[in-house]
Amino acid sequence: MGSPESNSIIGKAVLRREDDRLLRGYGCFIDDVPEPAGTLHLVFVMSPYAHARILALKTDAARAVEGVVDVLTGADFAGVVKPMAPDYAQPGYQVVGRPVIALGRVRFVGELVAVVVATSRNLAEDAAELVELECEPLPALVDAHLALQPGAIKLHEEASDNVLFRSIFKTPGFDAALAGADHVVRDRFHSQRLAAVSMEPRGCLAVHDRGRDGLTFWSGTQIPHIARTALAELLDWDEERLRVIAPDVGGGFGMKAYLYPEEVVAAALARRYQGAVKWIGDRREDLLTSNQGRDYDYDMAMGFERDGTLVALQARIVCNIGAYPTFPLGASVEAGGAALYMPGPYRLRHFAFDTCAVATNLCPTGAYRGVAAPVSAFATEALMDKAAHELGMDPAEIRLRNMLRDEEFPYVNVLGIQYREGTYERCLRRALEASGYEEYRRRQPAGRLAGGKYRGIGIACIIEHTGQGASRYRARGILRIPGFDSAQVKVEPNGKAVAYVSHTTQGQGHLTAFAQIVAEGLGIAITDVTVVEGDTAQGPYGTGTFASRAAVTGGGAVLRASAVVADKLRRLAAHALEASPADIELSQNYAHITGVPQLRVSIRDLAATAYSMSAGELPPGENYGLEATDYYDPPYPSITNAVHVVQVAIDALTGLVDIERYVVVHDSGRIINPPIVEGQIQGGIMQGLGSVLYEAIRHDAEGQPLQASLMDYLLPTMADAPDIEILHQETWAADTAGGFKGVGEGGTIGAVPAIALAIADALRASGARVTELPLRPDKIIALLEGVDGSTHREA
Amino acid sequence: MRPVSFTYLAPDSAEEALAQLASYAGNARLLAGGQSLIPLLNLRISRPAALVDLGRCSELAYLRREGDWLASGPMTRQVMAEHAALVRENCPLLGKALRHLGPPAVRNRATIGGTLAHADRVAELPGVALALGAEFIAQGPGGRRVIPAEKFFRGDLTNALDPDEMLREIRFPTAPPSSGSAFVEACNRHHDLMLVGIAAQLEFGVDGSCSAARIAAAGVQSTPVRLRQTEARLVRAGQLDEAAILEAARLSLEDVEPEGDLHASAAYRRRVMVGLVERALRQAAGDATGGSRRGGGGHGHG
Amino acid sequence: MATDKIPVRITVNGRRYERSVEPRMLLADFLRSELRLTGTHVGCAQGSCGACTVLINGRTGRSCLAFAVQLEGAEIRTVESLAPQGPLNAIQQAYHEAHALQCGFCTPGFLMVTTQLLADNPDPTDAEIRAALAGNLCRCTGYVNIVRAVKLAASRLREAASAAGSAAP
Repeated sequence: MGSPESNSIIGKAVLRREDDRLLRGYGCFIDDVPEPAGTLHLVFVMSPYAHARILALKTDAARAVEGVVDVLTGADFAGVVKPMAPDYAQPGYQVVGRPVIALGRVRFVGELVAVVVATSRNLAEDAAELVELECEPLPALVDAHLALQPGAIKLHEEASDNVLFRSIFKTPGFDAALAGADHVVRDRFHSQRLAAVSMEPRGCLAVHDRGRDGLTFWSGTQIPHIARTALAELLDWDEERLRVIAPDVGGGFGMKAYLYPEEVVAAALARRYQGAVKWIGDRREDLLTSNQGRDYDYDMAMGFERDGTLVALQARIVCNIGAYPTFPLGASVEAGGAALYMPGPYRLRHFAFDTCAVATNLCPTGAYRGVAAPVSAFATEALMDKAAHELGMDPAEIRLRNMLRDEEFPYVNVLGIQYREGTYERCLRRALEASGYEEYRRRQPAGRLAGGKYRGIGIACIIEHTGQGASRYRARGILRIPGFDSAQVKVEPNGKAVAYVSHTTQGQGHLTAFAQIVAEGLGIAITDVTVVEGDTAQGPYGTGTFASRAAVTGGGAVLRASAVVADKLRRLAAHALEASPADIELSQNYAHITGVPQLRVSIRDLAATAYSMSAGELPPGENYGLEATDYYDPPYPSITNAVHVVQVAIDALTGLVDIERYVVVHDSGRIINPPIVEGQIQGGIMQGLGSVLYEAIRHDAEGQPLQASLMDYLLPTMADAPDIEILHQETWAADTAGGFKGVGEGGTIGAVPAIALAIADALRASGARVTELPLRPDKIIALLEGVDGSTHREA
Repeated sequence: MRPVSFTYLAPDSAEEALAQLASYAGNARLLAGGQSLIPLLNLRISRPAALVDLGRCSELAYLRREGDWLASGPMTRQVMAEHAALVRENCPLLGKALRHLGPPAVRNRATIGGTLAHADRVAELPGVALALGAEFIAQGPGGRRVIPAEKFFRGDLTNALDPDEMLREIRFPTAPPSSGSAFVEACNRHHDLMLVGIAAQLEFGVDGSCSAARIAAAGVQSTPVRLRQTEARLVRAGQLDEAAILEAARLSLEDVEPEGDLHASAAYRRRVMVGLVERALRQAAGDATGGSRRGGGGHGHG
Repeated sequence: MATDKIPVRITVNGRRYERSVEPRMLLADFLRSELRLTGTHVGCAQGSCGACTVLINGRTGRSCLAFAVQLEGAEIRTVESLAPQGPLNAIQQAYHEAHALQCGFCTPGFLMVTTQLLADNPDPTDAEIRAALAGNLCRCTGYVNIVRAVKLAASRLREAASAAGSAAP
């Protein structure tokens, strides 16, 4: 049933309803939440060793500091809090639990060894310095390749080795297919460890209700419902007594889609002290303990026919996941995803992978925007370029040869994943044209050097798996993620609507986008719609916000729930207007008979009827109330596609990279709010840019982190940001409610290969192999000089 | 993280500040603009028993021309110096370097003296001070002494002041007529902490030949370094054609032993330094003739 | 004793406050916890992100790099002074229209820096905008829309100034 033109608000550039209070400085982030009187503050003592046996912890001096209530260690939590073990016992996984505070052994610099509870944060910090930790250092295992060798020190007693997840796959006849290929290209790729660095560090406020033994738990989390269930499980606390609220959250990017030990400790201590307990991490702690990501090595081979047709792809992937699998996504999210996303937009029938997640004495890792897809795309796109170069083809040409064409959809890929629709070829052609690719190639000097700059152009053709539902997480062995999301849409007695959604936002604009869907579905003004998210006590259960899912699972649930409410409004109106519900339209806060706008009744009057507040009658068989709840689990992942074309200019003296032009043609399904979509693409691209050019988490050989601040870990600034030309290609998803697809990570997935390959193209004349990230100035100069003067990978 | 507790003292005069400093016998730190010190305090890397805040010593914030010197009090805010006609006219190299010093919010509060005394290996002003042959006036209980620039910087984050001394004044030689200057740097990002920076001032005779050269490299080692071989080669060359510039720049390698760190390798610093010296020399020569006057000292991205 | 509190008088958003605080209390924490002005955010406490930027005696400064006690007698303006009630000011409105904020955590710092930039330079070029704002980090927006917002605000402020017919800033 189409909406009349006047209703149509999905697809419009509605200005964000979130903005007003944020612009005035009236936002409420976790450190802004009013603290109950007597709130106690936590400061954690962190291990200075990457690997050590704890011999003694002396806390007397710390306890003696004025204002300190207590100093607790791992032993104090051992009986009270279960170990955090995200994975279940199933093939490929080794279950490993993490004590919230270290017990007996520390496994990374930054691991929590004690917690100081005090009346103020300052006093707690003063006391924390007085805690004495006596350790017997053990050899630190920081290199994943060494950690997976037989005989390597075992980091976890309950596992048989350090490979906490492994998955091996090979299509029948693979070996013959690769051996029989006319041309095989191989290479090894390394992507460096990254930190998410949301501008707001992590934190939480746990408030105990001593009379009800209940807990209100405020946290900058992306997963309030999952967090609540997990807290209940870990603390042996009835779930119905727990309420988790995500206030305004200053960026998540996947890093906050996890439950952290600090949060569990705060919740446990709120109960212990029967009061309020607060922990706010600072940037130093964030760089040490917040989940990191993308510490991967890929060993790849791609076989082609002489005409550039891709025949076979082989990948061996080693993911360094740090000291513990992280909760709830577990050990496989990076290693599994790395392989899962690799076929990309290409026709591929022979695929073999061996992917593993290896524990080391580094900070634990997890999902960070794009997870492994940006690097999988880098590896495959780089080998596409290499094959093109060796076969005498243009990189665009080899991609066109191999990408799926419109007529091939729906396409079941080599892993059994359905690609329902896609515009791969169309986006590539549009991107090539918009970026002036052919002309650029024509004018490009073979030596690439002109006017003191090396210039190059890079293409990345990528897909993104968005809106993954229950079946995908089951298939991937990730069993703590429900996969569905939900919405309760309700029209209040005053005729205005509220939508309670199981998602939560860290800046993605849900309060506007979901309101657009409700407004259109119910035919009411968007200013009469309120979206409530992030509070487990308001609204139904769901998965939460990560992995580019909200538009699909949240949008879908809101759409479907709105439709049910709209149907009831039509039935009520039909009864009031003596017409058939099929003849009723909802528009501009009224229900009217199609074609006869003057025969109408206001939504507000219908609500009064539904709540028995007027003389209006319910139709026979109808009940009171005006609401509906929908649980939505998308049947297929919504696969989006994009092409990024990047032109770079590299200063021949300094190695500094300028992005001269950035074009992206992006098909992320039906667009709810164009500026919001563009903002996600722009932000995603900038994070990809940072990971290619500036960012790196580094350690010495003993696992000591080398970055203490954002002067060491370099994020892109406005001076580094290119203008980005975004062209939309909007193909509604055939199988998801509303036709929506997700968009949160696509920018990053495309930016990493596109920028890296542009640099590779710029350096082509020097014969440089661009296979390691980041590509900082000193690395680029070393590549130009043919010397691998790498400062990376200290270990 | 927040600092350890400290006693806060806010003297009104340099004399009072020195007395307070002395009374803490090495356990007090002087607080100038705070832009370098407070991050260290917040990380508890610096843990003084007392902070002596110079912010109320109005006598310490000034810029004056005194004969052939441009004198700056230690508390002159960077933003003030950046926009001061006195700096532009008398010490243009200083003015050019000041534009690279960090975002406006930092330059509003950071001070000339604070930055120089902090002696960060990747700071620009130490390079300028060394190139120009600035003088650092230290004042302590025993009175004042002059520390020449080449003796002031002892190592990364280490200066030659005694614990009971303060940096009372910095004197920059005014630029001779018929001189040109340039400041160029290379960074990891487009606006960033410096990796390598070159401060150069060249003097020319009436026949257009180079009569004096003063060039310092900052960020290459733990303190700034004068590139004396480069300087000598330029003066020997006289007329600075491209060949002379290239050769002189290459000689800079003889005067340095580059050190790498987290941000860039020693090999990179060595290679970039030579190219930056070339750029700086071309710009300084152009600046002297008034011909190719470029705004600023030239950023790392060219 | 070092933990003894020191009285300090600071004017914030036009109102004079008198408090006794520990010397080690950062201006940022003073604003946030003493005065409950939580619009100023602490992203790093190390002076490297700019989220905490306020105006100190009319010029931008990082409130995590100043102690409250240093600012005796000073005048501070925070983001809350831009539009406490009523319509958003021109800069805020431009950020809103240009979709120049997502999570909003870095936004107050950007608004204050933009305020100073446009006061000093009513018609900045793209390069001047980027140079002035490069010290403020944003992880969400990719910066492109912030540049657009600043240009939009600049042009509207110039229009308003010339419509007012006066040369006064």
